[in-house]
Amino acid sequence: MTRPAEPTLELVREGLRRARYLTTARVETVLYLALVLEKPLLIEGPAGAGKTEIGKVLAEILHTDLVRLQCYEGLDEAKALYEWNYQKQLLRIQADRVQGTQWNEVTQHIFSREYLLERPLLHAITAPRKVVLLIDEIDKSDEEFEAFLLEVLSDFQVSIPELGTLTARHRPVVVLTSNRARELSEALKRRCLYLYLDFPGVEIERQIIGLKVPELDAHLQEHVARFVGGLRKLDLRKAPSIAETLDWACALRALGIKELDAAAVRQTLNLVLKHEEDLRKVENKITSLLAAARHT
Amino acid sequence: MKTRLLAFIDVLRGAGLSITVAETLDAMQAVGVLGVGREALLEGLAAAVVKDEADRPTFEAVFDRFFAVPVRPRGKGKHPRPSDDGNGHGAGQAGGLSHKQREAEPHRQEPSRRSESAHRERERAHGRERTRERPDRSGQRLARQRALQAVPFCEMTAADVEACAELVAELAQRFRAHLSRRQRHAARGRLDLRRTLRRSISKGGVPIEPAFRERRPGRPDLVALTDSSHSVATASNFLLALLAPAPAFCRRVRLFAFVDQPVEVSLESGRVMLHESLDLYARSDFGHVLVTFWQQYEPLLTRNTILLILGDARNNRRPPRADILARMHAAVRRVVWLNPEPPQRWNSGDSVMHLYRRHCDTLLAASNLRELSTALRQTFRVS
Repeated sequence: MTRPAEPTLELVREGLRRARYLTTARVETVLYLALVLEKPLLIEGPAGAGKTEIGKVLAEILHTDLVRLQCYEGLDEAKALYEWNYQKQLLRIQADRVQGTQWNEVTQHIFSREYLLERPLLHAITAPRKVVLLIDEIDKSDEEFEAFLLEVLSDFQVSIPELGTLTARHRPVVVLTSNRARELSEALKRRCLYLYLDFPGVEIERQIIGLKVPELDAHLQEHVARFVGGLRKLDLRKAPSIAETLDWACALRALGIKELDAAAVRQTLNLVLKHEEDLRKVENKITSLLAAARHT
Repeated sequence: MKTRLLAFIDVLRGAGLSITVAETLDAMQAVGVLGVGREALLEGLAAAVVKDEADRPTFEAVFDRFFAVPVRPRGKGKHPRPSDDGNGHGAGQAGGLSHKQREAEPHRQEPSRRSESAHRERERAHGRERTRERPDRSGQRLARQRALQAVPFCEMTAADVEACAELVAELAQRFRAHLSRRQRHAARGRLDLRRTLRRSISKGGVPIEPAFRERRPGRPDLVALTDSSHSVATASNFLLALLAPAPAFCRRVRLFAFVDQPVEVSLESGRVMLHESLDLYARSDFGHVLVTFWQQYEPLLTRNTILLILGDARNNRRPPRADILARMHAAVRRVVWLNPEPPQRWNSGDSVMHLYRRHCDTLLAASNLRELSTALRQTFRVS
């Protein structure tokens, strides 16, 4: 496998196309910038707009592995960076006791790389080649963890008291995603390039449907994209994500629906709206939404 | 170019964005890499210095003014645009105007609606171009929300309160998420020696699976006492609205409103319902409220109770009866006082905050929505 040369904007565009990720010029530019400047990229935006997907696509473009760290409240260093494999160390001590090994030898043994459980962050740092590190939903983690992350992201090295300092041989490409469940610290934002990933416009969404559900009639693709665009403008508890739009398109195809009318929408709307109150809210707006979607 | 960029950054700072030196360097690098094509310049600079979508409209407005060109390259300049197209375009550009300006000029948006189909035509022609507008819109919504979160309660107009409805619903949603996460993932506690030893028996006495005491957040009782007198009623109403998700995560929730005496209230589909009548025009009397509450509802205050009080502690020079609060403090798990006034006004005039403060575990400022929702999260922290 050849290592891709210095990334160019063309290369990124081409890669996105090959990864079948349709997006905007803005996203292309910012991705390219993040690769060239070797800065972490912070992506914010509504759920289901394709933030996580960008990490995966980047890995595909660079022909490398994706290391993913899913954040949640209570996530700590032991789960994110490294942990000593306590059970294995104990076993070692037990085994050594039988053989009668000296204290010095034992301590040297049990605090070596063999007994280290690598968690995603350490894995990304020690990887033999450049990997993509996806830190997903950073807004779900605690503020203390964010501070700790800042430290790691600034110089990509980790000090393990028993082992010494491990430095990254290749700076991983870092992508952080956030749903804005809480405000991130200024310090973290300052260190990253920033991209706000909103839902794509109707046109791009239509292209996405065309790409992923090509069997659906062209005019239906267009109507679905416009209808969902209309839904997102309403004040809903959860706006439909792109994946849900695709599910819907698939369902319409499977049901053999030829025309997007009120009956068809009622029958299948629970594929895009998952909350009872959202469904109720949209119920009496279906006709007007449809009219807007079908009006050319 | 360098000096021009520096000047640009300066103007941005003047417009209220905070940009560090490191970010300025990033911006320079970005320009070095991307070149000075207009779109590339815009996106590159934005990625480097705009760290919140809410700042984006401001950024674009400054950008448009600073790097002004006679014809926007969006139209590619290949064909002369029909006139109403130009109008629609103008509205798109209005994304750069501040929210207030936009509101002041509703007629500017009209043409864009009329030229909707022409607009769509153009979008189809340049699939890419469209994308600059959508994020703008959400940027504006975010900017508006951010501004609303920072408006002090005492300066809110009726229109502001109305505009907050969506924001409050969203904050309540976040609060709900916070509470549910809190239940799932309490931090791992100390080593549980008894259980560790017990587990080790089957492994020949080797403690291979250590057991830890889980920190159980449990389900507390919540008693909220909110001041409904005119001066702080806005804050009280927001607090009650934000507390909507609490019952699902507490064993028992009792809400009380007071002016000169406590009255139980409940939330019914987002509206505050009084159980008895409450004289809203009385003068607040914290001392009397504390005494009455203690007499009537003492059994509610247990070791499992979080007592949440919202009030400005302006007692109209009546007896503060801080001794009752001290007794309450001794009875409950935690007393949290939220003061809807900015801290510099505490203890001024007839405010007796310093007397009550002694008997609170936590005293937090809650003078705007942002502070209020942060304070709520702190109230329900695991301890």
